[in-house]
Amino acid sequence: MKRFFRRAAAPVLGVLLFGGIAAKSLAEPSFSSEQVDLMAAACANCHGTDGRLVGSVPALAGRPAEVLEARLLAFKHEEQSDTTIMDRIAKGFTDEELAALAAHFAAIDPDGDDDSQAEQEPQE
Amino acid sequence: MTQHSQRSGINRRQLIKGLGAASLLPLVGGVTPFAIGGQHAGKVVVVGGGFGGATAAKYLKRANPAIEVILVEPAETFYTCPFSNLHLGGLRSMDEIAHGYDELQDRYGVRVIHARAEDVDAAAHKVTLSTGSELDYDRLLLSPGIDIRWNALEGYDEAAAEKAPHAWKAGSQTEKLRAQLEAMEDGGTFVMVAPENPFRCPPGPYERASLVANYLAQYKPKSKVLILDAKDNFSKQGLFMEGWEQLYGDRIEWVGLSNDGRVTRVDAERLEVETEFGTVHKADVLNVIPPQKAGWIAERAGVTDDSGWVPVKPETFESQQVEDIYVIGDATVAAPMPKSGFCANAQAKVVAAAIAASLESRPAPEAYWTNTCYSLVGPEYGISVAGVYRVVDGAIAEVEGSGGVSPTGAPSATRALEAQYAVGWYNAICQDTWGTQT
Ligand SMILES: Cc1cc2nc3c(=O)[nH]c(=O)nc-3n(C[C@H](O)[C@H](O)[C@H](O)COP(=O)(O)OP(=O)(O)OC[C@H]3O[C@@H](n4cnc5c(N)ncnc54)[C@H](O)[C@@H]3O)c2cc1C
Ligand code: HEC
Repeated sequence: MKRFFRRAAAPVLGVLLFGGIAAKSLAEPSFSSEQVDLMAAACANCHGTDGRLVGSVPALAGRPAEVLEARLLAFKHEEQSDTTIMDRIAKGFTDEELAALAAHFAAIDPDGDDDSQAEQEPQE
Repeated sequence: MTQHSQRSGINRRQLIKGLGAASLLPLVGGVTPFAIGGQHAGKVVVVGGGFGGATAAKYLKRANPAIEVILVEPAETFYTCPFSNLHLGGLRSMDEIAHGYDELQDRYGVRVIHARAEDVDAAAHKVTLSTGSELDYDRLLLSPGIDIRWNALEGYDEAAAEKAPHAWKAGSQTEKLRAQLEAMEDGGTFVMVAPENPFRCPPGPYERASLVANYLAQYKPKSKVLILDAKDNFSKQGLFMEGWEQLYGDRIEWVGLSNDGRVTRVDAERLEVETEFGTVHKADVLNVIPPQKAGWIAERAGVTDDSGWVPVKPETFESQQVEDIYVIGDATVAAPMPKSGFCANAQAKVVAAAIAASLESRPAPEAYWTNTCYSLVGPEYGISVAGVYRVVDGAIAEVEGSGGVSPTGAPSATRALEAQYAVGWYNAICQDTWGTQT
């Protein structure tokens, strides 16, 4: 099956690993916010809408992007032993997509009971 | 929220922001019929308030609150099939699998109409409801789930389902089967008839057999489970069989197609079934999971094909046959994605983005779907199968190297952890779909 290369112009992702923690991605983000929203929505059925649900599955909202990205890359590259499912899921995304997902969830306020989209609804 | 650059130039949200609240018309009764400059942002009618429909209604509003979204669903309370097997096994009440529509109405401004869609006039863009009223739409989204193909299995009609419940739609059927199981005398046999592919929830029958066996082991230890299957292979088979042996010994017997497992006739009155080669099995409780098809409203709308299911365009889940009608969930042909609640929820988000984009004459964003089906072999024994999907060369395909099943031979601590995550998943998907937790 063919690989999923995004737009040819996508910048090379520069992820630096320092003792297991990835430095902030140097890459210019290359996905529209609509695209990242849709990508991230695929995580909500286990992590709750906007990754806010606290339960047996860990919450994602508001966690540092570096931590989330490092975890996701480690899941994908089988450097993480405490995984039951995320390895199988992370392997479905490119490193660049995982970086974008990490930045997306890091930017969400974990306590806001608002909805990241609906909050901009003028009538609310 | 995200600082990502926008591919298509102006971001709708930025546009709304830039115009400021003052330039927008006030809301009337939770419905937002007009968007920027009094222009119609579009009207979407969603039929079915299950995993697909309820999620789509919410995510349409998240994509663009100015879209008028109307959800048509007869039930005020939705009982989930996921975790209904726990009810059968005596491990969860019906209240703990019940969800409602308050969040969709109160928080997202979806108009919920408790009625049945009776007919679709695709040319006129109209839906007729059981109340007699008509709704017009710019886009119609159907997520009607499955219907039973009555009499496709000889002797199995609606009357037979009262005696030999399918319990393949959660609610009164689930309660009926549970009551029969509770009333069964010790030493009895629970016979399950399992269908050939495709059908709703490929691992569902085997999770059910597991949780029934778990109940029997505790309360009716001389009783057995017999699965008569029209297939030779089933989802997560190796993992289920490993778990059955560990937890239930030989309490569960599975007879596949090659061993004359295919049932061809049901006598619900006598609780008997007959197989292809004439073996008659007598049940004390008979659970028939019959052949299925897309919910009948799909047929009325003209979107089904000869298979009884709905072919869709992979990128958007728009019907291949009728313009402006989108279909998601169990009703569709979406292989290799299975007919799961998880997939219906995932497809709903893709379709919401696609419809929001099409109403603005923009191309849809690229589709991403994931799936995970957790199954409980026992209350503390969870297993899973996962997949990540994209469109490749015009067809839905599993991303190479992703997904797969839980490892065989894993320690019991891993199974216990997956059982906990299964509960976490259930809570999360219900929160994401209806906003309610049990
Ligand atoms: C025993 C069992 C266990 C399962 N376990 C799991 C699991 O663990 N994980 C998982 O992911 N999936 C599971 N599933 C599968 C899951 O239930 C379905 O895949 C899911 O419900 C599909 O969503 P849907 O939106 O297509 O249909 P549904 O969720 O069935 O929703 C359809 C809705 O449409 C409504 N409707 C139908 N026709 C009309 C009409 N004409 N007008 C108005 N409304 C209408 C119905 O009332 C219903 O509310 C299980 C299924 C079963 C049977
Ligand atoms: C099927 C359920 C499921 C889905 C879908 C899912 N996750 Fe997870 N996630 C888990 C579980 C369970 C864990 C705990 C680790 C494990 O067992 O794999 C986890 C852990 C994580 C962690 C580590 C958190 C921490 O505290 O260390 C991150 C980051 C994460 N997930 C991100 C994502 C992203 C991003 C997506 C969407 C692409 C996603 N998850 C989709 C179930 C899921």
